[in-house]
Amino acid sequence: MVESETFSRLCRAREMLRETHDPPLTIQEVARAARISPYHFIRRFAALFGETPHQFRQRARIEHAKHLLALGPYSVTEVCVEVGFTSLGSFSGLFARRVGVAPSVYRRRVRTATQVPGRLPDELIPGCLTLMGRLPAHAAIFEKHPLRTLTQTE
Amino acid sequence: MRIKLTSIMVDNQDKALTFYSEVLGFVKKHDIPVGEFRWITVVSPEGRDDLELALEPNANPAGKTFQEAMFKQGIPISAFEVDDMEAEFRRLKGLDVVFTREPTRAGPVTLAIFSDTCGNLIQLYQRNAA
Repeated sequence: MVESETFSRLCRAREMLRETHDPPLTIQEVARAARISPYHFIRRFAALFGETPHQFRQRARIEHAKHLLALGPYSVTEVCVEVGFTSLGSFSGLFARRVGVAPSVYRRRVRTATQVPGRLPDELIPGCLTLMGRLPAHAAIFEKHPLRTLTQTE
Repeated sequence: MRIKLTSIMVDNQDKALTFYSEVLGFVKKHDIPVGEFRWITVVSPEGRDDLELALEPNANPAGKTFQEAMFKQGIPISAFEVDDMEAEFRRLKGLDVVFTREPTRAGPVTLAIFSDTCGNLIQLYQRNAA
């Protein structure tokens, strides 16, 4: 059982981990802001959100990087710094492991597929159900178009 | 017209499939790769196997905003029915599931709320004997 006060602090901590700070906050600093000891902070965060604060932040950074690479006029190095990594090597390595291709390849691929400048490319938004709201009307029935995404545009 | 499919947005599909199958005990029905994401549905072994719950990737920024706001406000995104709340509560606690509300009697039902570890709060309810 998590009390509502602790619950709110853990929710706030999750937001802090997604924010970009310069220099990036340490996990200890986020724990201190949540007023929980680092050991308990990591345990309780993981129990509530299914991943450690560090894992959550890395995932959030990669997601942020994907959006910036797809949308903005940024280089891979700029994106790396912007999302909070201090080393290009660790950024590119993690990105490639999670996304399957290097950031530069991803950037080229997604931009080639982007039709409307400045709009989030379809590849970044899954179109499974109307809830996700981007499938054109003719493709709205999922079962008939199970592979209509990245694999087709590659 | 039938209600056959409903969905829950999850922040990570791998994590979600593990939680919804290994912890909650649902059974995977579909797992189809769709580009970068997957079409995953689960069914309850205690219910009809054509009532599917889709574990949707929450990659749409609008969906994320909605999911996080509901979570922060403590509002469950969906509800599952159980026959024995006390037993289910003990079982899930034993698996380190975090509850934001322990079983509480509320008129005709007993309610509890837990985190699904994928960005959602889920309500359990048991219908009380009249």
